[in-house]
Amino acid sequence: MKNNRTEIESLLTDFDAGGVSRRGFLRRMAAFGVSAAVANIIVQSPFGARQAFAAIMGSEERAWALAKEAAAKATKKSLTVLIPTGSIGNMTPYVGKWKNELGIDITFIEEPDEVVHTKGMQEAVAKTGAYDVLMPTAMSYPDWIDAGVIYDLTPWTEKYQPDIFDPQWGVVFPASHHAQLYNGRVAGLLCDGDQITLLCRDDYIRNPDKAKAFADKHGYALSTPKTWSQYRDIAAFMHDPANKFFGSLEYRSRYYVKWMFMQRLASKGRLWFDKDMNPTFNSDEGLAVLDDMMEMNKYLHPDAFSFTWSSNYNAFGRGEGFMNICWPSGFKYSKAPSTGPATSGKIAATVMPADKLKDGTLLYAGMFCWGYGYAVSKYSANPELAYAYAQWMTSPTISMDAIPYLGGYSDPYRINHMKQPTQRMIDTYSPEYLETLYNNIVNTVPDFCLPGGFEYQDALDKEIHACMTGEKAPKKALDDAARSFDRITRRVGREKVQKSWLVLAKNLAEPIKKASGADQWG
Amino acid sequence: MLVRKLTWPLAFLMALALVFTLFPVFWIVMTAIKPPTDWNAAPAIWIPHEPTLVNFRTLFDPNAIREYGVGGVSQAATASVLGSIFASVTATFFSILIGLFAAIGLSRYATMSKATPLVILSGRMFPPAAIAVPFVIIFSATNVIDTYSGLIAIYVAVTLPFSTWMLKSFVDDLPREIEEAAMIDGRSRLMAHLTVTIPLIRGGLFATTMLIFILNWSEFMFALVLSYTNVTTIPVQLAKYVTATAGTLYGVQAALAVLAMLPLVIGGFMIQSHLARGMTFGAVKR
Repeated sequence: MKNNRTEIESLLTDFDAGGVSRRGFLRRMAAFGVSAAVANIIVQSPFGARQAFAAIMGSEERAWALAKEAAAKATKKSLTVLIPTGSIGNMTPYVGKWKNELGIDITFIEEPDEVVHTKGMQEAVAKTGAYDVLMPTAMSYPDWIDAGVIYDLTPWTEKYQPDIFDPQWGVVFPASHHAQLYNGRVAGLLCDGDQITLLCRDDYIRNPDKAKAFADKHGYALSTPKTWSQYRDIAAFMHDPANKFFGSLEYRSRYYVKWMFMQRLASKGRLWFDKDMNPTFNSDEGLAVLDDMMEMNKYLHPDAFSFTWSSNYNAFGRGEGFMNICWPSGFKYSKAPSTGPATSGKIAATVMPADKLKDGTLLYAGMFCWGYGYAVSKYSANPELAYAYAQWMTSPTISMDAIPYLGGYSDPYRINHMKQPTQRMIDTYSPEYLETLYNNIVNTVPDFCLPGGFEYQDALDKEIHACMTGEKAPKKALDDAARSFDRITRRVGREKVQKSWLVLAKNLAEPIKKASGADQWG
Repeated sequence: MLVRKLTWPLAFLMALALVFTLFPVFWIVMTAIKPPTDWNAAPAIWIPHEPTLVNFRTLFDPNAIREYGVGGVSQAATASVLGSIFASVTATFFSILIGLFAAIGLSRYATMSKATPLVILSGRMFPPAAIAVPFVIIFSATNVIDTYSGLIAIYVAVTLPFSTWMLKSFVDDLPREIEEAAMIDGRSRLMAHLTVTIPLIRGGLFATTMLIFILNWSEFMFALVLSYTNVTTIPVQLAKYVTATAGTLYGVQAALAVLAMLPLVIGGFMIQSHLARGMTFGAVKR
């Protein structure tokens, strides 16, 4: 945290002793960069300010104490961290502290995001010990744990308490489980809240002429879409290719397009498998999703078929579309004037649209996809130090400080990031968007965080992409994907994948469990 | 000598072929001198209004591009440029050296099985991806993973079939009688090859060297898989120019690509007379 710990502690002591008024305490805590909400928790704590502050600071302090101890013992005074390109800016601000106070050099090895998983798997055979900390997406954990590449962090988390399940500042459920655990054991500590939300151009919504024309045409008010059918109506209405302004910028490119499919499928109350690991997407719901996506193709940005996360953000920031389905960093960059010159101050966001179930109820579901986290290499020369780094970087306080840096794409994932944000966090995302993030993340379904996860993901992506480009008919694409899924399940081992799948399904939000029937799976 | 007259249709086809071949080069060079705002502007900017060398400076000073508000470049390309030069030059030297003597041996002293040339070529009969993981295992066990010696060894192994086969075809086309005449004049077999065979196939030797150098210089997969922290090359570095705020740094990637093209273009011009000879060597069968 960017504050003077000694002065804060002196202030806490003064407050507990009655030497500082409540208002004065809150004002001075704000000056130290402590958020009003955190300061309020401290003020209201029946156990005294010192103890309350120690609680939220506990994870960071326990990690730092472990780091000090491990650094003193370490013969190799360095940590090498494997990270995906584009994420470094959330980590570099702390390199100096580790060097100056612990004597530990932190080196980052950047690899393209699609290479990180492979590099990790390679360590299973190479055993070089070149990396101490690895930063994969949550999908890597099952394969990496099974291949013996990374540690099961559970013994450390039990001992050093990273507060990942804390009700006030832990990682928001169900991401706390999907994006960190493998079969109930902690495999990594989440550092990036990768859920997708829907962004809209607020200036267009507020335009009275457009609002009237839309209401006249569709019979309901123009706003951020609440359902997928509204999403399509609004995209069609706003689509203005002559002026290089498109209805939406959602992805149709390889590697990304499956998430657009999975998101819509989840909104229909369908998951990827049933309880016996039979694929469920080659169904009426799956076909309806593909029809909807193909209909939407008419209103998409022409680069949608080649978008990467960054070119998508750039196009939206240049003002080339009305809506965008993207990660929270997409909001961060479209809000910042330097990266969103045409969109800064003009974005409204909403949770992912709902779909109507057979019983007429609306189901709100989100996708938690990607979701980077820190894992500790089994071949690290300093595994305890590596773990300490992971816990310290993801602690409620340090992560709150790290996320707002624009140089990295980490996004909020802890409850305090969204419910008790610091001023910097608010300035980066806005209170409304942080609230949206919280409302969306509680309904997220997980990516393929299973053994063989990357193979499932690739098989689905390939077929959805083939369908979107017109190479395959929707039914054939889904049937082919289902056949690939069956092959992968057989090869990886049905029981092994099923065990992991049932654990994931157990930790879904209740409405999604009910809609998908997972509440009956036992 | 038959000289064919350049007709308009032929000239048109040649111009079309030239445009088709050179357009990517033109686009890369133009992107390399564009400021970040022009990299992926729409409509595309063909020739930048305000050309800049900032992309080239960023290769060696990652902070240079901050003047355009782009941050997050963390690594200079210096190590990868030096790494590429060292790995490619050394691997090409050994590939040509071993390939040359293998070619002479196969062409002139058919003591081995007739299948030997095919066995040598079999190393190229499956995709490199199929042998990447076994190499990772072998290199890890022998402690040469993430070392230049390991990378050079695999480059030599992978390019040796090409160098052997290409050079063998040049040696095959050289009449044996010339070497025999040298031996009658008192030269040993080795000296006959060194002073007669090799100078006479130097066009082919230059052409083969150029091809092997290009293969090593542009190789991506092995460099990616076998490198961790100590070894890096230009193709691997190219994939790393992605930042959170600006996305893919097309201009910086293009600048590095231009830099990577330079030695090949310069080398190609320097030996173009040999290249032309090498390409046509043996075109007319005896």
